[in-house]
Amino acid sequence: MTSFWNVLRVNTKMEFLELVRYKANTISLLLTFYIIFIAMMFGIQVIGDPAQAGTNTQFVIVNYIFWYFAMMVLQSIGWTISDEAMKGTLEQLFMSPVSPWKIFLSRMFGMIFNHFVLVIFLLFVSMATAGQWLNLNPFAIIPILLLTLASMIGVSFVIAGMALIFKQISAFLQILQFIIAGLTFVPLSVAPFMVAAPFVKGVDMTRQVMINGYTLADFTMVDYAWLIGNSIVYGIIGVGIYLACEKYAMKKGLLGHY
Amino acid sequence: MGSIVTVDGIKKSYKKRKSKEEFVAVKGVSFEVGKGEIVGLLGPNGAGKTTTIKTICGLLVPDEGSVTINGFDSVKDRNKALGHISAVLEGNRNLYWRLNVLENMEYFAGNRGVPKKEIKTQVNKLLNLFQLQDKKYELVNNLSRGMQQKLAICVAMLADTDVILLDEPTLGLDVETGYEVRELLRTIARDQGKTVIISTHDMPVVQDLCQRTIIINDGKVIANERVDQLLRLFETSAYQVNLKEELTAEQREILELKFPIHRWEGLKLEVSFEQEQDIYELMEIFKKNQTPIETINRTEINFEQVFRKLVKEEVAS
Repeated sequence: MTSFWNVLRVNTKMEFLELVRYKANTISLLLTFYIIFIAMMFGIQVIGDPAQAGTNTQFVIVNYIFWYFAMMVLQSIGWTISDEAMKGTLEQLFMSPVSPWKIFLSRMFGMIFNHFVLVIFLLFVSMATAGQWLNLNPFAIIPILLLTLASMIGVSFVIAGMALIFKQISAFLQILQFIIAGLTFVPLSVAPFMVAAPFVKGVDMTRQVMINGYTLADFTMVDYAWLIGNSIVYGIIGVGIYLACEKYAMKKGLLGHY
Repeated sequence: MGSIVTVDGIKKSYKKRKSKEEFVAVKGVSFEVGKGEIVGLLGPNGAGKTTTIKTICGLLVPDEGSVTINGFDSVKDRNKALGHISAVLEGNRNLYWRLNVLENMEYFAGNRGVPKKEIKTQVNKLLNLFQLQDKKYELVNNLSRGMQQKLAICVAMLADTDVILLDEPTLGLDVETGYEVRELLRTIARDQGKTVIISTHDMPVVQDLCQRTIIINDGKVIANERVDQLLRLFETSAYQVNLKEELTAEQREILELKFPIHRWEGLKLEVSFEQEQDIYELMEIFKKNQTPIETINRTEINFEQVFRKLVKEEVAS
């Protein structure tokens, strides 16, 4: 536990330093996302039902925030592996007596922590821009968000496993942005079958909290069963697939650039 | 001296990407490294050296055989084994160039689970030893190649493991920095009792630093001897002859036949004998055409020549 705490501490700091050292990159990331939000907001005002303009804009804000967050989490380890393999530091991570998946998990926690601050910033900026204020009930949002994150982390580990074997996955990561958009933007009321897809249930429940003012008591046991089941299944499957990929990479000598 | 690294009959083969043909990279490599030893792991390109290094570092699973570090199997007890070994595999590429010296050290040590307090004490000690104290807040990107190399070794040292494996620690360094790195490694082994395994093509480094050398060629260990012993073994039979005239084709043919291990450089001939009496046979060849000899000297053999001979002999056999 002490080891994991130390790993978590340095990886959170590392993520923070990356954001600070690549300042221009961080600023342009925020600007790009803000511009995308503006485009989405005007888009929905033009094509959406004028009578539902307020709700539609709120819908856009929640989806857009989740899209940003899901993209950061899902691409996180995959991108880290690809980048570190290129730089030459990947083998060093694999030579730690702390299992690599724990290092990547802590790197992801560090990334989530740092980007959460950016997400909050983006959320308030977008709410202020749109003039639509969402219901930010932390007691309802945080538990749902944590369970949703477990599912996202699972998918992220699958991508990490692919990165370990194929290394160059940037093309896939670009396509992934659109898949994530599909998963975060389409409401379950329109596509109920997507309830089994990763993190969709969590996004849907958060939407209910932020737009319709739901509390945890307003959800049914079936909702929770889907949310928790989704998190456990994707979380475990994700880490399992990653570990299988790691084993394969070590057998085939695919670790790192070295 | 008890062994701390045991490589026991490791075999590894890969499939070639295009032809899907199986290629055996390592064909049963075995050796041991003792505590506090400085050992050179040598071999020409494609000899199976990298596969062996990767297996020792737990980055590759062998098809057969095993590697144990301080008694822990590198596959079955991977994390425990890795607790006893650290490595610099790609020199300065093993560092984060956008982080400063201190941040790099803290990151890598923390990633090995070392607590913050312990890191602080170790960092200061090592920065002094490696003379990097005044560069503490400098971005790695702004450091010279030599300093980056020193930092990479420093980072490996921070893990405070029993074994340190270094791949090409002096590659691309100027003479002065190369010497500095060499002295540092000697200090590490002597004063801190660390076991140092060096993989290099820099033969003077091996001759100067390593107590023992393990030479791998064609996936097999072809020599596993003390450096001084290898030098002794070869030094008695190497001669350098300076001729005044070129040899005739017939003379060259006989030379090739009788002394397959020789080297020409203009009129300078370097030749090795299996036994001292062979020198008379060499004289016979010169005598055939009354080839004038300017000088004939027993050569001070260096480790590079020993290495070349061993590899050449192995190929010939």
